[in-house]
Amino acid sequence: MGNVDLDFKPSVPVLDSNMSLGRRHDKPVNIDSAEGARNEMELAGIGRALVYAPHAAIFDSGEGNRALIETISNSDEFLPQFVCNPSFDDLSELAAHVDSEGVRSVRMFPGLHNYPFRPWVIGPWLDWLAETGIPVWLPVDFELIGPIPSTNPIDPRDIYDTLSQRPEIKAVLSGAKYNDASWALPLVRSLPNLDFEISRFVPGGGITSVVDAIGPERVLFGSRFPDSAISPQLFSLHRNGLSEDALRAICAGNAERLMGIG
Amino acid sequence: MDTPVIDFHAHLGNWGRHAMLGDLERYVEIMDRAGIDKACVNCIFLGDARAANDVVAEFVAKRPDRFIPVAFVTPHYPEETIPELERAFLQLGMKFLKIYPDYFRKPNDDPAYFPIYEWLNERGLAVMSHPSYPFESPGITVKRKFAALSERFPNVKWVLAHAGGSGNTETLEAARDLPNVYLETCGSGATFGAIEKGVRIAGADRMLFGTDMALLDARHALGKIVTADISHADKRQILGLNAIELLGLDK
Repeated sequence: MGNVDLDFKPSVPVLDSNMSLGRRHDKPVNIDSAEGARNEMELAGIGRALVYAPHAAIFDSGEGNRALIETISNSDEFLPQFVCNPSFDDLSELAAHVDSEGVRSVRMFPGLHNYPFRPWVIGPWLDWLAETGIPVWLPVDFELIGPIPSTNPIDPRDIYDTLSQRPEIKAVLSGAKYNDASWALPLVRSLPNLDFEISRFVPGGGITSVVDAIGPERVLFGSRFPDSAISPQLFSLHRNGLSEDALRAICAGNAERLMGIG
Repeated sequence: MDTPVIDFHAHLGNWGRHAMLGDLERYVEIMDRAGIDKACVNCIFLGDARAANDVVAEFVAKRPDRFIPVAFVTPHYPEETIPELERAFLQLGMKFLKIYPDYFRKPNDDPAYFPIYEWLNERGLAVMSHPSYPFESPGITVKRKFAALSERFPNVKWVLAHAGGSGNTETLEAARDLPNVYLETCGSGATFGAIEKGVRIAGADRMLFGTDMALLDARHALGKIVTADISHADKRQILGLNAIELLGLDK
């Protein structure tokens, strides 16, 4: 008889390192308010979440980042993550906004924003990341609905070449799926400065394979809420035979260390 | 809580493209860690259905306490299907049938499947397949398709793979309105609110927990049911009680 806790809650503090917050133009969002997200986090038993604004990803990073700050309104549960689009944004303006709001991480979408993650495109942005120590999340893709739906997936060759030349830059590969394992695991294994966020990584034995590849200290829990439910991958983490130290690191400690927060 | 947990949707075989390993010890280890009692295993990776069913039978024979055999036939070779159904169910003890219309480019209401369904209908058996396909006839809906199939083959139990976790309203309504349609829950995503929506529209008695193991991780699949905002009674039905009833297993 299966021994399953039907009231599962995480046994360690959790910082969800892949959430978005706010409405989108192309579909209704399951939970689109700070209060709604807070309620879902409480139900799931998680304390904090790193959040970005989908509007910042899809249309206007500056406008979306400002809206995000208004939406979360200094809530302790939400850590703002700014989207930056080096092909569109003014670096000094974005950097000033990051600084003034105390933002501790950014998210770049080379596929969605249609540029190669290469120094000849984003050189000054790489310098800024290196100087500030701010880590950058790199989503594998971004799904859009509508008349111009297609976005490019991230090019792992760009990530490898650029991050291997800039080992001082800290990055996180986010949202790799089960069918990305063939390149995503070798990529993070080859780059000590690239960590791995697991929200969509569900191949059989996937958590074990990524922990074996790079160690628990470079793996980050994320949910991809509100598109996805918060808890299934958390449940899976708790059923992978990880030590409590490893579980604590993956669920919150690694993200805290990356962003320099306690 | 001790409750029966039966995975209705697991595959055997290796799939190098996705690093999928059909290794028995690995299945058992993952099932033990997850809390899964038994997994229904099929093999759809071989063009020779006889060979595929032999893979399943040999695998299950090593741990009959943990695995339930599921048959496979291929309409690419129609003359083989009925003899292989007889062998698979009557000699090898398979419990239900998995078909994969994606391979045949013919949706599951194509007359090519009717001899198979007729054989199942005579015995009141279940068949699992995907609910819909990109190569369907224009205007066809899941509900219309399975209403016609249910009318023609009223004793067959139709299990729609992945549909219980999709959140697709039309498919959920098909299960609500057709008494022999069931929804299996696996998939690589964990769509927010999908399990809750399935219970709300189709009912927990129509949903079957599945994993897609070893392509996907069984623990994530189990987490979708365990952490859904539904009652314990609904969770227990989905996790195993419905499968026990559908397949006539010992409790």
